[in-house]
Parts: sequence; structure tokens; C-alpha cells
Amino acid sequence: MLTEKLRSMLLVPEIEAAVNAVADRVGEYDSWGYSPEASKLYFSLAYRIFQYFRPEVHGIENMPTGRVLVIPNHSGQFPFDAITVAVACLVKAHPPRLVRAMAERWFPTLPFVNIAFSRCGVTVGDPVNARNLLEAENALLVFPEGARGSGKTWDHRYQLAHFGRGFMRLSLQTGAPVVPVAVIGAEESIVSVHDAPTLASALGMPYFPIPALLPILGPLAYLPLPTRFSITFGEPMRFSGPFDDEDEVIDQKVAVVKQRVQTMVDDGVARRDSIF
Amino acid sequence: MSERVVLITGIAGGLAQLVGERLHALGYEIVGVDYRREPHLDFPATIYRASYNKTKIEDIIRRHRPTHVLHLGRVGNLKEQLGKRFDLNVLGSRKVMDLAARYGARRLLVLSTFHIYGAHPHNHIPIFEDEPLRAGTGFPQIADAIQLDNQAVLWMYRHAECRTAILRPCNVVGPDVGNAISGYLRSDPVPVILGFDPMVQLIHQDDLVEALVRVTEGRATGIFNVVGKGTIPLRDALRVGGGHQIPVPSSVAMGVLKLAQVVGAALPPYLVNFLKYPCIISDEAIRETFNWAPRVDQREAVRSTIEGARHVDAPPGAR
Repeated sequence: MLTEKLRSMLLVPEIEAAVNAVADRVGEYDSWGYSPEASKLYFSLAYRIFQYFRPEVHGIENMPTGRVLVIPNHSGQFPFDAITVAVACLVKAHPPRLVRAMAERWFPTLPFVNIAFSRCGVTVGDPVNARNLLEAENALLVFPEGARGSGKTWDHRYQLAHFGRGFMRLSLQTGAPVVPVAVIGAEESIVSVHDAPTLASALGMPYFPIPALLPILGPLAYLPLPTRFSITFGEPMRFSGPFDDEDEVIDQKVAVVKQRVQTMVDDGVARRDSIF
Repeated sequence: MSERVVLITGIAGGLAQLVGERLHALGYEIVGVDYRREPHLDFPATIYRASYNKTKIEDIIRRHRPTHVLHLGRVGNLKEQLGKRFDLNVLGSRKVMDLAARYGARRLLVLSTFHIYGAHPHNHIPIFEDEPLRAGTGFPQIADAIQLDNQAVLWMYRHAECRTAILRPCNVVGPDVGNAISGYLRSDPVPVILGFDPMVQLIHQDDLVEALVRVTEGRATGIFNVVGKGTIPLRDALRVGGGHQIPVPSSVAMGVLKLAQVVGAALPPYLVNFLKYPCIISDEAIRETFNWAPRVDQREAVRSTIEGARHVDAPPGAR
């Protein structure tokens, strides 16, 4: 059949092997809709994006087995950083790790996107989902900056936005270590000079970027430039204390992680020779 | 006269009849009530046609003094007008519960539905019994079901002497079930929402009957979600049925259903959300409390619903 032929053309053997080798096995589907079989096609497409950005991956050996919170900086207008981190964990980690990304609450309302995301293991960023997945020994990908991070404009590049507390409470509650991650290169893939909030709210989006190249390229300015990514996984950080402590106490622990990610980001930027 | 008399509402429905048959085999005397036509049953039972909100039900309960009341008669049949559903589901349920207590029933079981949680894009997975009921925020058509459940919960705390359990099953399917979801699985062609394919839970009639029997025989009180074995994407379930899937944009489906409602058609628009977003519930509580577990997996449940229905004429409006 044509669809079968197309599928076999698109499938990347490396991805197939990695998904098969993932230790966090589920049956045909889990309750969130993750499907190892269906995800192979979507991750194969994600792998093309990964190749487009040609990321250098450092410190992947820091990814532990079992429950873990993967905490990167967020940037780039579109979630290319999430895609490259997820693919890096699949094809570079030993054994391969499937990271379950926590996404914005509006993704289930997006036609087709909701199916693709669910089949790849993405879930709504909700504390109950997160806790259930961690208790089942999954790796969670959380961007504590949220849309504040991915929608940041050029003048705020590589400066971390406010970190939410949710991930830290989860870490304390489930005993999951935090792996800080720095993603370099996404900021330059689409250079946004302005956020148009009126347009964003009219379209039901968290932000609406205006790329610097819009006057020259028109809508093509929304395609990312082939910048070279670098992804650095830091050593796992462990925290202790009550998960339901006062915000002030939790904030102190969050600040430690944020500082760690910021340092790794600064180092990554300083180390880089070229953005391409 | 039997020591154990069970009054079952909704006896014209396939599920109530299956429960009645099982309880009869266990030595219960069966008294069945329905506002619809009196059914033909394959087991001995006293059957009445009565509305749950009228005086005749009082006489039935006075006469039979049921020890157990299984209120399975929630009107899920959406062909009924909103006003009539309110009378039967809200006023009627209240009457059945009050009479159960007044005439000394020691066990009350109320069959609610998972629809009251609502299929919402923000739903986490799974949903437990103590969580908010979101369904009413967008759609008034579900208000009677929410109120039925709410008053049963209140009633449970007020009347400790009548040990009450409220069951919230997911989509009930099976050859003898004639509800909206079973009909949907049997459709060909079958409309689906373009760009959406949520995970769903189906419970086979045999598993739900077993759960109802266990809860009837048990003593524990509380609210219990009931689900079948596993979860499945909606379109995989439909593929088992073999119906030709026709993707329809969500706005079109919603518009058609709203229009159809004007002329009195069966499906309320809120069901569109159940074809778009997940509403996955946890059955941990009933498993632990009543040592019950579902046996029929999702695909088998669909197969049974379709193949069985070719031989059995499903009663109209059954739950």
C-alpha cells in the first residue's frame, strides 16, 4: 500500500532501533496516547529537524536511568529546542531515553498536532500528569520558563526568563533528580524583534513573534535558519525537603537550578565559534 | 418472601436486565421499574411501568420493601426532552433515594456516568472520583446528570443507615446495550472529527454487570469510577468495527448537531468533545474496595458490541 511504502521511506532505522530499545516499555498505547509504533514515524521526522540543526551533544552520559526531570532553557519561537533535546536523548543516550515533554495546555486543541504530540509521549503540562509519569520512572522534559522563554525577543537572548516552581515541587515530591540542560543556537534560528500580543490573543496563541527578516523574506522569515545547535546536559542535581514548603523556600531551590542553567548557557555561548 | 428484595430501576434497559438475571440467580427477589414499556424478561421478576417522579413508585416501594435499591434508571437517552430528563433524573432519583431510606433499604446503588467529568483539553490523566465535574461549563444538556450525581453524593453522607455507592462508568458497550456510544461504534459510515483521535475507555456490559453485582453484595460506600481493560484511540476502536470513517471538521460537526437538536435528534453537542479530547478515569478505588477487575479488553469489547448486535435486537434507549 502507498501509505506503507511512504512510511518505510520516511522511517529512520536509527530511530526505530532507539524506540525499540527504550527501557520504559509500554504496550501498544499508554493512557496518554503514547504509541511506540506510531512515534517511530514522528520521531523520524523530528530526526530530520535534528539533522538540520546539526547539534553537538555534550554530557549525555549525565542522563540517569529511572525518573528524572530534564530542565533546559527555552528559546527559538518554535519548539525546535524540545525536538532536538528529545531526539538527542533517543539517539545519543545509552540506553536510549524517551523524554515525555510537558506541553502548553492549548496543544490538545490543535488539530493533527495533538495526535502527533500524544503519540510521541507529549502530555499537557499538569502536575498530576507529571507526577504519574515520574512515579512510573519516566524522564520528563519541562521548560520552567514556559512560553515566556520560547517567545523571548532578540534583546533578551540567552537571558533566562522567570522559572516556574512546579518542576521543583515535583522533584521534591517524587525524589526525581534534575538534569540541567543548555541549548545554544535556537535563539538565532528565528530572530524575533517584537511580540505582537494583540495578534497573539486574537489567534489564541501565547505570543506572536515578528521576525527581523519579515520585511525582506515575508512569511519565509518564519522558517528557521540552519544555525548549529549545541546541547549540553549537566550533572544531575538532587534536592531534599518538603514539596509543599512555602514558595519562598521553593524559590531558593529553583534559583539554584536557574543559575546552573544560566551558567551552562553562558559557557556554551562563550565557547561557540560560529552560529552556523 | 425472599429476605433480599432488590428494586431495579431502568429495567427496560439491557444492562438492568442482565444485572437482574445475575441477582436472581444469587437468590434475590427482583422488582423492576421503568418509565418505558414493560420488557419481556427471561427470569422471574415483578415489573411495573412507572415514572420515578410520580406517586406510583411510592406504592411499589411500600408494597415490596426492597432491601436493596439499584437505581440504574438514569435517562441517558437524549431523545427525551430536557424537561422530562430533569423530572426523571433529578426529581425522580431524589424520590427513589428518599423512598429507599424511608422503607428500610440497607443498600443503595446509583449508576451515574463519567460524562459528568467532561472531555476537556485540560484534563489530566487519569481523573479520580474527587475531582471537579467540568462537563457543565459549556453544555447545559449535561446538567441533569451532574445534579443527579451531586444529590446522590450528598444523600450518601446524610443517610449512613442506607449504605450507598455511586458508580461512574466510562462508555458502556456490548451486544445488549443500545446507548449512543454503542450505536456510534456500530455505524457505517461513521463520522470522526478531523485532526483528532483521543484515547477512550470502553467497558463491556459483562464487566459492568459483574461490578454492579459485587457492589450490590458489598458494604462499602463511596463514589467509584468503573472502566474496562486498557485504553484505545477512538479511531482504532472504530477500525475494529470496520465502519468507513468520514473526517468532519469540529465546527461543522458541532453546527450539525446543534441544528439537529432543533428537530429533536438524539446526540447532544457536548458529545463532540468526547470525540476530540480525552476523559480517562481511574478505577483504582473500585478495584481495591470490591476486589473487582475488568476482563474484556477494548478491542474485544468493540467486537462483541458489533457482532453480538447482529443477532440480538438491542432494546431502544437502553443504557
